[in-house]
Amino acid sequence: MGTDSLDPVIHAPARLRIVATLAALPDADTLSFTRLQDMLDLTPGNLITHLRKLEDAGYLTSETTGNGRASRTSIALTRQGRAALDAYTEALRDLLGGL
Amino acid sequence: MQGPHEIDDTTTASDGEGLDPREAARLLDQSKRDARRQFSLSPPWVTAFGGAVILVAYGALWLSVRGQHPYEGPNLGVVGLVYAAVAVSIAVSAKVYQRATAGVSGPSVRQQKVEGVAILISYLGSPVIQGAMKNFGASDAIVYGVIPAAAPLIIVGTTVLGIAASKADWPQFGAALTVVTGGVVAAFVGPSAAWLAAGIGLFVGVAGYAAATSKRFGHS
Repeated sequence: MGTDSLDPVIHAPARLRIVATLAALPDADTLSFTRLQDMLDLTPGNLITHLRKLEDAGYLTSETTGNGRASRTSIALTRQGRAALDAYTEALRDLLGGL
Repeated sequence: MQGPHEIDDTTTASDGEGLDPREAARLLDQSKRDARRQFSLSPPWVTAFGGAVILVAYGALWLSVRGQHPYEGPNLGVVGLVYAAVAVSIAVSAKVYQRATAGVSGPSVRQQKVEGVAILISYLGSPVIQGAMKNFGASDAIVYGVIPAAAPLIIVGTTVLGIAASKADWPQFGAALTVVTGGVVAAFVGPSAAWLAAGIGLFVGVAGYAAATSKRFGHS
């Protein structure tokens, strides 16, 4: 089954889970890195790599506040990221509906 | 031993190539449901627990006043049981709120806090009316029967009704409307039956909400 129509940035298990999780929050809400890591059960290194890819694509933003142990990184899905997930979901439906 | 999931798709741009669309659809659906469940302030099990507490508390209140002539109100033991049940419900809700909102910040969290304050303030409506009625010499049947059974449902229910309407949360709207209706019925059936009517209205509203949210979590 061809997957060319599926956004390659989202079409990876970990990133799909990250985007779907962040999309469950209302617009403009942010989620801390530690809570996201806890929810997805990913290692910090793995999560950082995936977040960077999504951020490079403009699908999410991250902001770190504070220093050292007191620092906190907040992550939010951008409007572009939400639209990309909608488009991905639609493309998946088309693919599976065409079976 | 493998610790947290090491999903090995971090290195290449085409790392989803092996992911079958059917598997992707399943993963997407599961992730959405898991996230909704974890962010929910009123998961179905908590609502169902609330329904059980309502059944016990209002059932005990009704049984303690049934057949009283003249009406004297619930006995202190039952009132203590109701306060204990309310305290347990508040503790469970606070724990769920803490877990659901951990790490989450933004406008919706601030909105939830404002809604919480509005609901807490609306709880004061019933004792205020009770005090005023007592002050004007209303009977025990009104002060310790009809008002405490019906007023909280009407006042708090109407507050929740407004909040639900503003968020277009129709299951919550339906539950609040049911509770308000229970309160209205309770206001007209006399002091003893008021507790039964209030308990039924509350339980049906809460159980209906639990069923609706359970369905929402079960399907994307």
